[in-house]
Formats: sequence, structure tokens, C-alpha cells
Amino acid sequence: MMTITPVAAELRAEDISVWFGERQVLKDVNLTFRSNRVTALIGPSGCGKSTFLRTLNRMHELIPSAGLAGSILLDGKDIYDPSVNPVDVRMEIGMVFQKPNPFPTMSIQNNVLSGLKLSGLHVDNKEELLETSLKRASMWNEVKDRLDEPATSLSGGQQQRLCIARSLAMNPKVLLMDEPCSALDPGSTRRIEATIEELSESMTIVIVTHNMQQAQRVSHETAFFLADDNVPGGVVEFGSTEQVFGQPIDSRTNDYVNGHFG
Amino acid sequence: MPEPRPPKQPWNKSSKLASFAGRRGFADAVLVIGSLLLAAVVFSLLLSVLWSVIVTGSSAIKPQFIYQNNRYISTTTSLDYGGVGHAILGTLELVLLATAVALPLGLAIAVYLTQSQSKLRNMVRSITQALAGLPSVVSGLFVLSIISFLGAPKSGIFGALALFPLMLPTVARVAEEALRLVPADLRLAALGLGAPNYRAFFQVILPAAKTGIITALLLGLARVVGETAPLILTIQANDGTNLNPLDGGIATLPTYIYGFISAGYASSITRAWGASLVLLIIVGILFVTARLLTGEKKKKKSKASK
Repeated sequence: MMTITPVAAELRAEDISVWFGERQVLKDVNLTFRSNRVTALIGPSGCGKSTFLRTLNRMHELIPSAGLAGSILLDGKDIYDPSVNPVDVRMEIGMVFQKPNPFPTMSIQNNVLSGLKLSGLHVDNKEELLETSLKRASMWNEVKDRLDEPATSLSGGQQQRLCIARSLAMNPKVLLMDEPCSALDPGSTRRIEATIEELSESMTIVIVTHNMQQAQRVSHETAFFLADDNVPGGVVEFGSTEQVFGQPIDSRTNDYVNGHFG
Repeated sequence: MPEPRPPKQPWNKSSKLASFAGRRGFADAVLVIGSLLLAAVVFSLLLSVLWSVIVTGSSAIKPQFIYQNNRYISTTTSLDYGGVGHAILGTLELVLLATAVALPLGLAIAVYLTQSQSKLRNMVRSITQALAGLPSVVSGLFVLSIISFLGAPKSGIFGALALFPLMLPTVARVAEEALRLVPADLRLAALGLGAPNYRAFFQVILPAAKTGIITALLLGLARVVGETAPLILTIQANDGTNLNPLDGGIATLPTYIYGFISAGYASSITRAWGASLVLLIIVGILFVTARLLTGEKKKKKSKASK
């Protein structure tokens, strides 16, 4: 077995503001994601939490009209520094999307190893990396006899775990997950949540979720985002998950986590 | 609990003829019968063309017709001698030369239209569409004017040059369609793994659009393989086999057909029909291949969705 050195990193967002064209959608977000912790971002639709998640690995700037102010520090180093290549940032900060999106033209095996080819990295022992990554995504036993089959032959839940394995093969320090279970059945959701728990031992995880129960099950810390018609989105409350759901300080948080709106 | 299905309406059970009753039924009948008739007209036209090419053409087709050239063949030579081998080779060569330029450029246009955010995209798209309406004879005339400007003798390369603008819009449009069908998710997934844009394109987007791009290529080939006018204007006929596109005359199937029909002798007309059949078969092979490739893709998709 290849040893994965746990290199979780602290990620800190400082005064993040985001615009799409003229419209400001986020204002002065300050959050710290501590290493080896799972942080949940919750809030009603349109509050900017997914947008915020995308600023964390510079996927945000792929949208043509997107603007940004503030800085994101990965272990103290600003990922928006002009000297930093966004490609390198995305190798260190992986992302799992809402809809499972394995590469349809590739086999299961090549999907897991696709990051190496796509980023031009070379690894001596691909078989080990393949096995380790699939084991960390807890799907090795399901697919070890069918590694050459197309990724599209897997079920939706398996495809999503394959996407997680694909990110893990790059050995990222931080893993961003954008509603990773919203397209999945409860059984698959449960398995991914178990995977998240195991992964937090070796990396920092930020997860956007619409599911309050999920936030309570998987996260150590929770940030509640809120936006209004003419007010850009921002963090209303940030604290330990227990506190945010148990004794919320802000009344709006209280209303949201108890299902009064959103 | 799923809702119980509503019982079948009684009018569903009535015969087709009964549903033509009444004023609305009459209009319906007129439309149905009218469209069936029009379809029959179009279909019988197509069939009669195919039928006459196959029946008349097959009398000329003998094994040597496919591989021999037309040298030393006169109007009195029996159909047991001579053939269109030189014209098949010439057609393939010119079409491949045109493809060598039109495919990369058409693909580049498609990539530009789908991957960039530039404001010039609409202009590029309009120009490509306008090019699709270019009459082939105009393309030939344009290249002819280049030939006379250069003072160069006509040769195969100019024929290929005249075919190229006819092929380009087809390739660009179908390839654009194919690239557009690739989900945006895949590009994001690739970029999210730390891929530079060009690697995301070559390793993820292009393979996902592969069958569509092959279709674009085949449709482009089919578009120009039977073009006659631009070739009559830009190349010289040749009875022998010549594969040098830069020097001398070159035979192609469309110009062979044109020449032999114009000659007016019974045997030359039969040979022209034979050449038509060969051309028809080549186009048929291209279309069937395109259809098979796209069909395969659809089958895979429906399998995956199960």
C-alpha cells in the first residue's frame, strides 16, 4: 500500500466579495476552515454558498462575468496571488460536483487516474494509486473486478464515489463538495457521508448542503449563509455544528435550521 | 400510492375511418392523405433516380471497370475494356486534399464557436452559414480566377482548392453541434482536477464528441465527392491515371460522367452511367458509416440510462 501522507491544510477566506457583472452576490465573507475538519455551508437557494465554494479553488473565475475581491489563504498563502497558477490551486484543492460527472469516454480505472494525465503529473506506481484512491472512496471491493468497464456502467451513487476517488488520486489538501448527495438515493448518501468522515482524517473538507440532517451528521462546523432581494449574500452565523443547530445566536439562523423558511 | 390510470376513452376504440367524420375529421383526412401523397411523390422520385442509375449503370460494371483506366479506349471499344479506376483514385485524392484543410479548419471554427466567449462568435457563425449557401460553380469560378491570375496550368490542387470552401461549412456546423452536446460538467470536472484548458479539451471534450466529429467529416466528404462544376472549371481531364496534384490533368468521377455523357455515343453514355453507380455507392458507404457511428452512440446512451 502506498502511504498517503495526511497533509490537510487550513483554508481561510478573508473579506470575500463576489460580483456577477454589476450585481454583487457576496459581501465580506470571512471564514476559516480548520484542517481535518468538515465544515458545512448551509442556507436557502440563491444565498451564494455554491458561488462562495467556487471561489475557494478558483473555479469561480471560469464564469465570464465573474468578479472577486478579497483573498483566500491556503496555509497562509494567497491562492489569488498573481504569481499563483490557478491550475496548481485546483490540484491542491479538489472539487466534487452536484451531479456525478465521470468522464464517459474513459474506463473506471482511467477515470480515477485521469487527473494525472490531465495535469501532466507522473506517478511511478499507478496500480497502487488506483487501489488507494478507490479504497479511500470505499468502493474498491465493488469495482476491483471491473476496472476496465466504462464509468457509465456504474450506478449514480457509484459514479459519485468514483468522482470522489478521482479527486483523491490527486491527493488534495482540501476537498470541496457542492451538494454531492443531492442527486442520490438515501443508501448512496449514507455511504458518501461515511466516506467524508474517514476522509476528514487526512484532509480539510468543505461541503455545501441543502439537507439539515446531513449537515448535522457529517460536519464539525457550520456556516449559515443568507441573502435578501437587494442585499448580497453573507455569513449570518458560523460556529460548531452543535451550537448552530442547538443554540443559534441569530434569530434568522434559528428560523432556518428549524425549517421556518428556505 | 400511484394514481389509478384513467379508463380508456371510448373514442380511442373507434376505427381510424370513423375519426375522419365531421368537419374537423375532414380537414384531418385531407392533411393525412395529402402528406402521404406528397411523401409518395418524393419517394418515387428518389426511387426512380436510384433505379435508373442501378439498372443502367450495372450493365457497364464489370470487374475491370473498377480498376482499369480509360487510356486507349475509343467509342467503339467493347465495354469489356476500360474503366473508372483512374477517376476513383482522382476523386479520392482531391477529396482527401480538400479534407486535409477543411477538417482542421472546420474543427477550429467549431472549437472557437463553442469554447470561446468572444463577441466575434456571431459574426464567424454568420459567415460560415453564408458560405454554406455558396453555389459550387462560384467556388470554381473563384479558383479559376486565381489560376488565370497566377498564369498557372490547371491541375488537381486547384480542384481541391475549389472543393474546400464547399466542405468547410458542413464540417464546421456538424462539429459545432457535436461539441455543443458535450455536457459543460465534464469540462468543469477536468479543470477542477487541475487541467489546463487545452488538456481538458483534447483529453475530455474532444473524445466525448468523437463520433459527432467523424460524422461531420463524413457528411463533409459526401457534400463534395459528387461536385462537378468546380472541377470542370479548375482541372483538366485525363484518360490515364495521374496522382500528381501539382502537374497535369486528373480524372474524377463527376468530370468523367460529365465528359462521357456529353460525348453522346451509346458506349460512352453507358460508361457514364456505370461511373454514376460507382459514385452513388461511394456516397452510400459514407452515409451508412455516418449513420452507423451515430446510431452506435445512441445505443450506448440508452444502455447507460437503463
